[in-house]
Amino acid sequence: MEGKQKMKLGIRDYCIRCGICEDLYPQLFHVNLDEDVVEVRYDPVPEELEETARSAMKDCAIAAIYMIKE
Amino acid sequence: MKTLNTDVLIMGSGLAGLTAANTALDAGAEVIVVEKRPFQGGGVSNTPMQTLVVRDDPAYQNRAFKIHMDYTNWNANPHVVRSWLKNTVRIPAFVRSLGIEFLNIKYNPLEELGTTRGYEVGFPNAFHIGDYYRLKWIGKGHGAAIICKKAADRIREKGGRILFHTTLTKLIKTEDRITGAFGKDVRTGEEMEIRAKAVVIATGGFNDNKEMVEKYCGLHLTNKNCDDGGNVVFNHFTGSRLTGDGQRLVWEAGGAKGAMGCNGHAMVPGPGIVGDHCAWVVYNELRTMQEQAYLWVNKYGQRFICEEQSDNHMAMVTAVNNQPGKCGYMIFDQDTAEHMEKEGVERAYFIFEGNRLHNVKKQFEEVIAKGNKHVFLADTLEELCEMSGIEYEGLKDQIDRYNGYCEKRYDEELAKDPLYLRPVKRGPFYAFRVFPGGYHAFGGIKINGKCQVLNEEQRAIKGLYSGGDCCAGEVFGNPPIGGIGWSTLSFAQGFICGDEAAAYAKSFE
Repeated sequence: MEGKQKMKLGIRDYCIRCGICEDLYPQLFHVNLDEDVVEVRYDPVPEELEETARSAMKDCAIAAIYMIKE
Repeated sequence: MKTLNTDVLIMGSGLAGLTAANTALDAGAEVIVVEKRPFQGGGVSNTPMQTLVVRDDPAYQNRAFKIHMDYTNWNANPHVVRSWLKNTVRIPAFVRSLGIEFLNIKYNPLEELGTTRGYEVGFPNAFHIGDYYRLKWIGKGHGAAIICKKAADRIREKGGRILFHTTLTKLIKTEDRITGAFGKDVRTGEEMEIRAKAVVIATGGFNDNKEMVEKYCGLHLTNKNCDDGGNVVFNHFTGSRLTGDGQRLVWEAGGAKGAMGCNGHAMVPGPGIVGDHCAWVVYNELRTMQEQAYLWVNKYGQRFICEEQSDNHMAMVTAVNNQPGKCGYMIFDQDTAEHMEKEGVERAYFIFEGNRLHNVKKQFEEVIAKGNKHVFLADTLEELCEMSGIEYEGLKDQIDRYNGYCEKRYDEELAKDPLYLRPVKRGPFYAFRVFPGGYHAFGGIKINGKCQVLNEEQRAIKGLYSGGDCCAGEVFGNPPIGGIGWSTLSFAQGFICGDEAAAYAKSFE
């Protein structure tokens, strides 16, 4: 749809790097063990993965995944 | 070399370190916290949904203390246990001071303490000994990461410093006391000296140090499929970076080795059951099935424990670890599969809602299709034995006897409650292989009731304190009765470390 806002994901700074996001949604997240950070694979999230992103926000163990509002 | 100065230096920003830092700051001390990772939080960030508080009442305090000590067969250090329980009364006010309100509080009356065993304090499967203060659930329900975040914010607000990416490499001893530590930035390697009047070690357990786990807990950590000759699955999340740094520093500085142990959970490894990173992410209901007290046998087909203990994880792990091949099997038939679907299981696994399982056969088939080598489904018992490696003659003999107990409703062999006596008769037959798994390896630092670190002569090392999981062996005994990231212990010992370290630092003024 024209003018539709693109979805962007952020990870809050209390993320505990448990990796539940990559276990459940490897297409969207990667735990970078070298840098000790969790990376979102897409910025913005492609439209076909928006539903997955919403599920990931719900499934995060500590609700650290959030949608960035612009 | 860069030099920093402070009153109290704290290594580790888990709940114990953060609580100690807040307490020392409130007592007027200057504080530096070092954390090698780029964020605050430790073992408890992951698990606790609630914390334990023992009421500030002599009757409750005495009862809780004696129940816990009896349960460890008085292997725990009584002074450490007493001071932990006493200081739990400070937890509610501290949590509220962070702007966090409890979801609810479950008060347990005196006469009920010690009568039931459960998950409520975390994963220890010890007895209930107090009241439970439940945290607000966020996400999948792990509220403690927010406590850590807010506790870290409060440290900064009060003028304390938290240095991320920073670890300590060696404690500095001046005459008979600890006067700081050498440290370094783990990214750049830049070295520093941090001079302090007191040092608190709060680095947690040592899950990620395979050598230590093998040496001190007798468990061989292996990969998630158990296919490299090892036989233990480690069940905490990977990459927790708990490598025993604090323990090593303390031992090098003359600290005695305290009790160490690993809290276990017998579990089925392999693809389709647990997550790659996060072993407590489960993809199906096999974990719930494992919790049931139906028929458990070893590879000779013989029962080895009264299966009622299936939810007593430490007992199961120990029993499984003692079997030939260090594994056990749980077996049930189609009638029991249907019972779990229709009537529901007797024991819900606490992180799942409801008691009724869904299409057990399909779940087995899916896991097998994913290549899991520890899950078996067969039309006959002979076939099941061939697949799983259980000796058929032994199993046949055991099942004949077991079905007899089911019929009589009396388990003359191992005294199991008839509620769990379900015969194994009608195919298809189901089995899974269970291995001793570990949740959390902890302990190693010997302390007294004031959280002072003790040397080989069991005398306090001046200026050195420790609290939380790195000393938890002193509370859970050896071998341990359980224990994993007990928020109640980390809070309480954090208060004690903060009080004692700040008072000691101030004694120089």
